[in-house]
Parts: sequence; C-alpha cells; structure tokens
Amino acid sequence: MLAIVRPDSWNLPLFLHVLGATLTFGATATVALLGFAGLRGDPERAIWLRGLAFRIGGYVLVPAFILMRGGAQWIADKEYPGGAKTPGWLDVGFIVTEPGAILVIVMLILAWFAARRPSFRGAVAVPWLASIYLVALGIAWFAMSAKPGS
Amino acid sequence: MNLYDWLLFLHVTGAFFLLGGIVIAGILNLAAITKNRPPSQVASLYGLIRFAVPLIGAGLLLTLVIGLWLVHEADYGYGDAWVVTAIVLWVVASVLGNIDGKYQRKTGDLAQRLAAEGDAPSSELRARLRAPQALAISYASGLMAFAVLGIMIWKPGA
Repeated sequence: MLAIVRPDSWNLPLFLHVLGATLTFGATATVALLGFAGLRGDPERAIWLRGLAFRIGGYVLVPAFILMRGGAQWIADKEYPGGAKTPGWLDVGFIVTEPGAILVIVMLILAWFAARRPSFRGAVAVPWLASIYLVALGIAWFAMSAKPGS
Repeated sequence: MNLYDWLLFLHVTGAFFLLGGIVIAGILNLAAITKNRPPSQVASLYGLIRFAVPLIGAGLLLTLVIGLWLVHEADYGYGDAWVVTAIVLWVVASVLGNIDGKYQRKTGDLAQRLAAEGDAPSSELRARLRAPQALAISYASGLMAFAVLGIMIWKPGA
C-alpha cells in the first residue's frame, strides 16, 4: 500500500487548506484575467474592470488566502507539534504564503489605485503580479503533493 | 520521487485546474448577475469566462484518468464506496456542467448581440442571467466538484 494513511483528525484542516488553496488559485486567476482585460479598451471600461479586479481581490482572494494559510498552520501544528523540524516541502509552502501575502497586499494596493485613475501606470503590474503568484501556487502544490526529497 | 508521487501531483494539478476553473466561472458569473449591468458589460464578463473552459476540461480529464490510475497504484479497489461515489459525482457534475456551459454560451452570445445593437438594458438578458433552473444547475455542478474534494480527503469507508 503506497498511499499514506493519516489520522482522521487531520482531515478537516487538510480539507480547509486545500479548499482555501483552490479558491485562492481561482480568485488570483480571475484578478489576472480582469487585470489584463482592464489594460485595453476605453477608459470607462478599463476603470470598471480594474475596480472589479480590486473587489474580487478584497472579497474573495483575501478570505481564501486566510483559509489556505490558516488550514496550513492548523495541520502543520498537528503533524509537527512543538516546533519539530519541518521538511523542505512544507517550508516551500510557507515561502509561497508568507512573501506571497506581501505580494497580494502590494497587488491590491496597486489595483485600488488602478481602479481610480485610468492613466495609472502601475495598473500593468496588477495582472503580472497575479500571474507570478499563480506560478508560485503551482510550485507550492507540486511541493505539497509530490513531496520531493521526503 | 516514485510513480505514485508523480501521479498524485498530476491528480492534484487536475483538481486545481478543475476547481480553479469553476471558481473563475462562478465569480465572473456572479459579477454578471448581481447588478443590472448593460449587455456590453455582461458580454465582457462572459468573454472572460471562456478562459476557464479549457482549464475545467483539462481538470476533468486529469482528475479522472490519473485518479483511476492512482486507485490501482495505491491498491485501493475500484468498487470501494468512496471511489464509486466520487466517480458518480464526477459524472453528474460533468453532465450538469456541460448543460450549463451550453446555456451560458447562448447567454453570452445574446449579450454580445444586444451590445452591438445599442447596448440597451434587456429584460430577456436579465431573465436568462437569473433563471432559477439554470442557476441551480450551475451551482449544483460546482458544489458536486467540491464535494468530490471532500471525498478524496476523508475517503469514507476506506
């Protein structure tokens, strides 16, 4: 039997973590799509799309990110209690979420300005930051699922 | 890394594509229906939903094919209750998603036509966007996909 059998008490935090991660992935991709679409067309349409990107970032991405990170901490505390040494694949997850939180905050600040001024040059950074974060999430789910080096 | 690790990674990738695609389509759909938007805005949002379609398609394929391979590789049984339940939910979610996709495509086409014809508010478009049966099919399909995620984690009866 190759599958890892984990205690039942780990299932809820794992579910919340993965649920949060999939919502984060979808919300980040939506921000990227709206952000790229908001770089083109007439100023009124651009402002509307950028405003939508900002609101989805605030109302969906941030709560999803908190669910993902909270679930991760909950299950990490169960699996590696009392400051036990964590494996590299788990550290990758923390690297993606901790600096990732800063990236999301910067992205939202830029999205807020971009939604107010059609000529705001930083608007172009919003979808690119979202795209970079999508790649980072991909690296994290590779580390979490394949657990290289473990 | 052994074969099981790679298969698990591909299976999880499929799940992220599928659920991520559903989230994209769901968010954009909600954005379209929550306000009385002009047809041009609805058309813009539905135009973006089409980017979620290949993601959902790839996710459906990867989750099923790699999932079935994983059942064999990890010595689970194809008749296990959690495996059968997950497959049934996957099939029902796919069928409902397909019905919903066709309906949404027609709504997007209508919005595009109305936008080109003067962008005036349309009761027909509003009715299509908020049709209770269509919304029920759409959200049931998405919720079933997330229910499969729960089954994958709890594996009831395994």
